[in-house]
Amino acid sequence: MQQFLDTLNAALPLEGYLVVGAVMFAIGAWGALIRRNAVVVFMCIELMINAVNLSLVAFADYLPNAGGAGVGYAVLVIAVAAAEVAVGLAIALAVYRSRKTVNVDEINLMKG
Amino acid sequence: MIVAFIFLASMTLISALAVVLSRNVIHSALFMSGSFFGVAGFFVMLNAPALAAFQVLIYVGAVTVVILFGIMFTQRPQVRRFRLIVNRQMWSGLFVALGVGAFLAYILSIQNWDGTSPGYGPRETADLGEILLGLNGAPEIFSLLFEVISVLLLVAVVAAIVVSRRKTGEGIDRGVEE
Repeated sequence: MQQFLDTLNAALPLEGYLVVGAVMFAIGAWGALIRRNAVVVFMCIELMINAVNLSLVAFADYLPNAGGAGVGYAVLVIAVAAAEVAVGLAIALAVYRSRKTVNVDEINLMKG
Repeated sequence: MIVAFIFLASMTLISALAVVLSRNVIHSALFMSGSFFGVAGFFVMLNAPALAAFQVLIYVGAVTVVILFGIMFTQRPQVRRFRLIVNRQMWSGLFVALGVGAFLAYILSIQNWDGTSPGYGPRETADLGEILLGLNGAPEIFSLLFEVISVLLLVAVVAAIVVSRRKTGEGIDRGVEE
Protein backbone atom coordinates (compact mmCIF):
# COMPACT_ATOMS: atom_id res chain seq x y z
CA MET A 1 0.00 0.00 0.00
CA GLN A 2 2.76 2.41 0.97
CA GLN A 3 4.64 1.48 -2.18
CA PHE A 4 1.56 2.23 -4.28
CA LEU A 5 1.20 5.63 -2.64
CA ASP A 6 4.88 6.34 -3.29
CA THR A 7 4.38 5.47 -6.96
CA LEU A 8 1.46 7.88 -7.11
CA ASN A 9 3.48 10.67 -5.51
CA ALA A 10 6.65 10.13 -7.52
CA ALA A 11 7.91 13.02 -9.64
CA LEU A 12 7.03 12.73 -13.30
CA PRO A 13 9.72 12.59 -15.97
CA LEU A 14 10.18 15.61 -18.20
CA GLU A 15 9.06 13.65 -21.28
CA GLY A 16 5.46 13.56 -20.05
CA TYR A 17 4.99 17.31 -20.23
CA LEU A 18 6.90 17.59 -23.49
CA VAL A 19 4.80 14.91 -25.19
CA VAL A 20 1.56 16.53 -24.01
CA GLY A 21 2.85 19.82 -25.43
CA ALA A 22 3.78 18.17 -28.74
CA VAL A 23 0.38 16.48 -29.11
CA MET A 24 -1.43 19.72 -28.25
CA PHE A 25 0.67 21.55 -30.84
CA ALA A 26 -0.22 18.94 -33.46
CA ILE A 27 -3.94 19.23 -32.69
CA GLY A 28 -3.73 23.02 -33.00
CA ALA A 29 -1.86 22.72 -36.30
CA TRP A 30 -4.49 20.32 -37.63
CA GLY A 31 -7.28 22.73 -36.72
CA ALA A 32 -5.47 25.70 -38.24
CA LEU A 33 -5.04 23.73 -41.47
CA ILE A 34 -8.53 22.33 -41.91
CA ARG A 35 -11.07 24.75 -40.42
CA ARG A 36 -12.78 27.25 -42.71
CA ASN A 37 -13.84 29.75 -40.08
CA ALA A 38 -11.16 32.40 -39.46
CA VAL A 39 -12.12 32.82 -35.77
CA VAL A 40 -11.65 29.09 -35.14
CA VAL A 41 -8.28 29.32 -36.90
CA PHE A 42 -7.35 31.97 -34.32
CA MET A 43 -8.39 29.63 -31.51
CA CYS A 44 -6.20 26.87 -32.94
CA ILE A 45 -3.25 29.25 -33.16
CA GLU A 46 -3.81 30.06 -29.47
CA LEU A 47 -3.72 26.32 -28.73
CA MET A 48 -0.36 26.03 -30.48
CA ILE A 49 1.02 29.02 -28.54
CA ASN A 50 -0.14 27.40 -25.29
CA ALA A 51 1.55 24.12 -26.19
CA VAL A 52 4.84 25.94 -26.70
CA ASN A 53 4.34 27.77 -23.39
CA LEU A 54 3.84 24.45 -21.64
CA SER A 55 7.12 23.13 -23.04
CA LEU A 56 8.96 26.32 -22.02
CA VAL A 57 7.72 26.14 -18.44
CA ALA A 58 8.50 22.41 -18.23
CA PHE A 59 12.09 23.09 -19.32
CA ALA A 60 12.35 25.97 -16.85
CA ASP A 61 11.29 23.71 -13.99
CA TYR A 62 13.35 20.63 -14.90
CA LEU A 63 16.67 21.88 -16.26
CA PRO A 64 19.07 22.76 -13.43
CA ASN A 65 21.03 25.43 -15.30
CA ALA A 66 18.08 27.22 -16.88
CA GLY A 67 17.56 29.45 -13.87
CA GLY A 68 13.83 29.49 -14.52
CA ALA A 69 14.25 31.74 -17.56
CA GLY A 70 11.60 29.79 -19.48
CA VAL A 71 8.90 31.22 -17.24
CA GLY A 72 10.03 34.73 -18.18
CA TYR A 73 9.84 33.81 -21.86
CA ALA A 74 6.37 32.35 -21.28
CA VAL A 75 5.19 35.70 -19.88
CA LEU A 76 6.52 37.46 -22.98
CA VAL A 77 4.83 34.90 -25.24
CA ILE A 78 1.50 35.44 -23.45
CA ALA A 79 1.79 39.20 -24.05
CA VAL A 80 2.59 38.71 -27.75
CA ALA A 81 -0.34 36.29 -28.11
CA ALA A 82 -2.71 38.79 -26.52
CA ALA A 83 -1.55 41.46 -29.01
CA GLU A 84 -1.99 38.98 -31.85
CA VAL A 85 -5.55 38.17 -30.82
CA ALA A 86 -6.48 41.85 -30.63
CA VAL A 87 -5.13 42.67 -34.10
CA GLY A 88 -6.33 39.39 -35.66
CA LEU A 89 -9.92 39.79 -34.51
CA ALA A 90 -9.89 43.41 -35.66
CA ILE A 91 -8.85 42.18 -39.11
CA ALA A 92 -11.58 39.51 -39.06
CA LEU A 93 -14.11 42.21 -38.16
CA ALA A 94 -12.95 44.47 -40.99
CA VAL A 95 -13.07 41.58 -43.46
CA TYR A 96 -16.57 40.61 -42.35
CA ARG A 97 -17.73 44.18 -42.80
CA SER A 98 -16.66 44.30 -46.43
CA ARG A 99 -17.12 40.65 -47.56
CA LYS A 100 -19.93 39.42 -45.25
CA THR A 101 -18.02 36.22 -44.51
CA VAL A 102 -15.02 35.07 -42.49
CA ASN A 103 -14.55 31.73 -44.21
CA VAL A 104 -10.93 31.66 -45.23
CA ASP A 105 -11.56 29.83 -48.52
CA GLU A 106 -14.06 32.44 -49.71
CA ILE A 107 -11.75 35.40 -49.15
CA ASN A 108 -9.76 35.26 -52.39
CA LEU A 109 -9.17 38.93 -53.14
CA MET A 110 -5.41 38.46 -53.43
CA LYS A 111 -5.54 35.12 -55.24
CA GLY A 112 -3.58 35.26 -58.47
CA MET B 1 1.26 13.75 -9.07
CA ILE B 2 0.49 11.08 -11.64
CA VAL B 3 -3.27 11.31 -11.03
CA ALA B 4 -3.23 15.08 -11.43
CA PHE B 5 -1.08 14.75 -14.53
CA ILE B 6 -3.42 12.26 -16.22
CA PHE B 7 -6.46 14.36 -15.32
CA LEU B 8 -4.94 17.58 -16.66
CA ALA B 9 -3.53 15.94 -19.78
CA SER B 10 -6.86 14.37 -20.73
CA MET B 11 -8.70 17.63 -19.98
CA THR B 12 -6.27 19.64 -22.11
CA LEU B 13 -6.08 17.26 -25.07
CA ILE B 14 -9.78 16.32 -25.22
CA SER B 15 -10.75 20.00 -25.05
CA ALA B 16 -8.21 20.80 -27.77
CA LEU B 17 -9.68 18.09 -30.02
CA ALA B 18 -13.16 19.40 -29.31
CA VAL B 19 -12.09 22.89 -30.41
CA VAL B 20 -11.11 21.48 -33.79
CA LEU B 21 -14.05 19.13 -34.28
CA SER B 22 -16.96 21.03 -32.72
CA ARG B 23 -19.56 22.16 -35.23
CA ASN B 24 -20.69 25.13 -33.17
CA VAL B 25 -18.26 28.05 -32.99
CA ILE B 26 -19.37 29.04 -29.48
CA HIS B 27 -18.68 25.50 -28.27
CA SER B 28 -15.22 25.76 -29.82
CA ALA B 29 -14.51 28.94 -27.83
CA LEU B 30 -15.70 27.40 -24.55
CA PHE B 31 -13.69 24.22 -25.12
CA MET B 32 -10.70 26.44 -25.80
CA SER B 33 -11.03 28.00 -22.36
CA GLY B 34 -11.21 24.49 -20.87
CA SER B 35 -7.95 23.62 -22.61
CA PHE B 36 -6.35 26.80 -21.23
CA PHE B 37 -7.51 25.81 -17.74
CA GLY B 38 -5.72 22.48 -18.14
CA VAL B 39 -2.52 24.27 -19.13
CA ALA B 40 -2.89 26.53 -16.08
CA GLY B 41 -3.06 23.40 -13.92
CA PHE B 42 0.15 22.17 -15.54
CA PHE B 43 1.79 25.50 -14.65
CA VAL B 44 0.87 24.97 -11.00
CA MET B 45 2.39 21.47 -11.14
CA LEU B 46 5.53 22.94 -12.71
CA ASN B 47 6.22 25.37 -9.84
CA ALA B 48 5.00 28.48 -11.64
CA PRO B 49 1.85 29.49 -9.72
CA ALA B 50 2.16 33.16 -10.69
CA LEU B 51 2.20 32.18 -14.35
CA ALA B 52 -0.86 30.01 -13.76
CA ALA B 53 -2.62 33.07 -12.39
CA PHE B 54 -1.60 35.04 -15.50
CA GLN B 55 -2.89 32.20 -17.65
CA VAL B 56 -6.29 32.15 -15.97
CA LEU B 57 -6.60 35.94 -16.03
CA ILE B 58 -5.40 36.55 -19.58
CA TYR B 59 -6.37 33.42 -21.50
CA VAL B 60 -9.39 32.01 -19.69
CA GLY B 61 -10.65 35.49 -18.91
CA ALA B 62 -9.62 38.02 -21.50
CA VAL B 63 -8.79 36.12 -24.70
CA THR B 64 -11.89 33.90 -24.47
CA VAL B 65 -14.13 36.93 -23.94
CA VAL B 66 -12.51 38.81 -26.84
CA ILE B 67 -12.95 35.79 -29.11
CA LEU B 68 -16.58 35.43 -28.02
CA PHE B 69 -17.10 39.08 -28.96
CA GLY B 70 -15.49 38.36 -32.30
CA ILE B 71 -17.88 35.45 -32.83
CA MET B 72 -20.80 37.66 -31.87
CA PHE B 73 -19.86 40.24 -34.50
CA THR B 74 -18.85 37.97 -37.37
CA GLN B 75 -20.96 34.81 -37.41
CA ARG B 76 -24.23 34.25 -39.16
CA PRO B 77 -26.31 31.17 -38.36
CA GLN B 78 -24.56 28.40 -40.19
CA VAL B 79 -25.49 25.04 -41.54
CA ARG B 80 -24.62 22.43 -38.95
CA ARG B 81 -23.00 19.83 -41.14
CA PHE B 82 -19.51 18.65 -40.38
CA ARG B 83 -18.60 18.62 -44.06
CA LEU B 84 -19.14 22.38 -44.23
CA ILE B 85 -16.87 23.46 -41.38
CA VAL B 86 -13.72 21.95 -42.87
CA ASN B 87 -12.06 22.71 -46.16
CA ARG B 88 -10.79 20.23 -48.74
CA GLN B 89 -7.50 19.66 -46.90
CA MET B 90 -9.09 17.61 -44.11
CA TRP B 91 -7.16 14.35 -44.57
CA SER B 92 -3.91 15.79 -45.87
CA GLY B 93 -4.00 18.20 -42.93
CA LEU B 94 -4.54 15.28 -40.57
CA PHE B 95 -1.51 13.49 -42.02
CA VAL B 96 0.65 16.62 -41.71
CA ALA B 97 -0.44 17.19 -38.10
CA LEU B 98 0.04 13.53 -37.18
CA GLY B 99 3.49 13.64 -38.75
CA VAL B 100 4.46 16.78 -36.84
CA GLY B 101 3.09 15.43 -33.55
CA ALA B 102 4.68 11.98 -33.91
CA PHE B 103 8.02 13.48 -34.96
CA LEU B 104 8.11 15.93 -32.05
CA ALA B 105 7.01 13.31 -29.52
CA TYR B 106 9.59 10.83 -30.83
CA ILE B 107 12.46 13.32 -30.79
CA LEU B 108 11.57 14.57 -27.31
CA SER B 109 11.26 11.05 -25.85
CA ILE B 110 14.45 9.51 -27.24
CA GLN B 111 16.47 12.40 -25.84
CA ASN B 112 18.29 11.41 -22.68
CA TRP B 113 16.79 13.54 -19.91
CA ASP B 114 18.81 12.03 -17.06
CA GLY B 115 19.99 14.61 -14.59
CA THR B 116 16.81 16.64 -14.86
CA SER B 117 14.49 16.79 -11.91
CA PRO B 118 11.61 19.08 -11.03
CA GLY B 119 11.88 21.94 -8.59
CA TYR B 120 14.15 24.48 -10.31
CA GLY B 121 11.36 26.79 -11.40
CA PRO B 122 10.84 30.25 -9.88
CA ARG B 123 8.23 29.25 -7.34
CA GLU B 124 8.28 32.61 -5.55
CA THR B 125 6.68 35.47 -7.41
CA ALA B 126 9.63 37.68 -6.44
CA ASP B 127 11.95 35.32 -8.34
CA LEU B 128 9.75 35.61 -11.42
CA GLY B 129 9.86 39.39 -11.11
CA GLU B 130 13.66 39.35 -10.93
CA ILE B 131 13.79 37.14 -14.03
CA LEU B 132 11.52 39.52 -15.93
CA LEU B 133 13.75 42.48 -15.05
CA GLY B 134 17.01 40.64 -15.68
CA LEU B 135 18.26 40.89 -12.10
CA ASN B 136 20.28 38.45 -9.99
CA GLY B 137 21.81 36.32 -12.70
CA ALA B 138 18.83 36.17 -15.04
CA PRO B 139 19.62 36.97 -18.70
CA GLU B 140 19.92 40.74 -18.96
CA ILE B 141 18.12 40.77 -22.31
CA PHE B 142 14.87 40.40 -20.36
CA SER B 143 14.95 44.04 -19.26
CA LEU B 144 14.98 45.07 -22.93
CA LEU B 145 12.32 42.52 -23.93
CA PHE B 146 10.06 43.74 -21.12
CA GLU B 147 10.11 47.28 -22.52
CA VAL B 148 9.68 46.08 -26.12
CA ILE B 149 6.64 44.01 -25.11
CA SER B 150 4.97 46.98 -23.44
CA VAL B 151 5.46 49.12 -26.57
CA LEU B 152 4.17 46.23 -28.71
CA LEU B 153 1.00 45.96 -26.64
CA LEU B 154 0.35 49.70 -27.01
CA VAL B 155 0.91 49.51 -30.78
CA ALA B 156 -1.37 46.46 -31.05
CA VAL B 157 -4.20 48.18 -29.18
CA VAL B 158 -3.94 51.27 -31.41
CA ALA B 159 -3.76 49.06 -34.51
CA ALA B 160 -6.82 47.06 -33.44
CA ILE B 161 -8.82 50.28 -33.04
CA VAL B 162 -7.64 51.66 -36.40
CA VAL B 163 -8.26 48.44 -38.34
CA SER B 164 -11.71 47.70 -36.96
CA ARG B 165 -13.02 51.27 -36.92
CA ARG B 166 -16.16 51.87 -38.93
CA LYS B 167 -15.57 54.42 -41.67
CA THR B 168 -18.20 57.14 -41.89
CA GLY B 169 -21.01 56.29 -44.27
CA GLU B 170 -20.06 52.62 -44.52
CA GLY B 171 -22.19 49.68 -43.42
CA ILE B 172 -25.43 49.89 -41.51
CA ASP B 173 -25.97 50.87 -37.93
CA ARG B 174 -28.09 48.05 -36.57
CA GLY B 175 -28.67 49.75 -33.23
CA VAL B 176 -30.52 52.61 -34.89
CA GLU B 177 -32.21 50.62 -37.59
CA GLU B 178 -33.80 47.83 -35.59
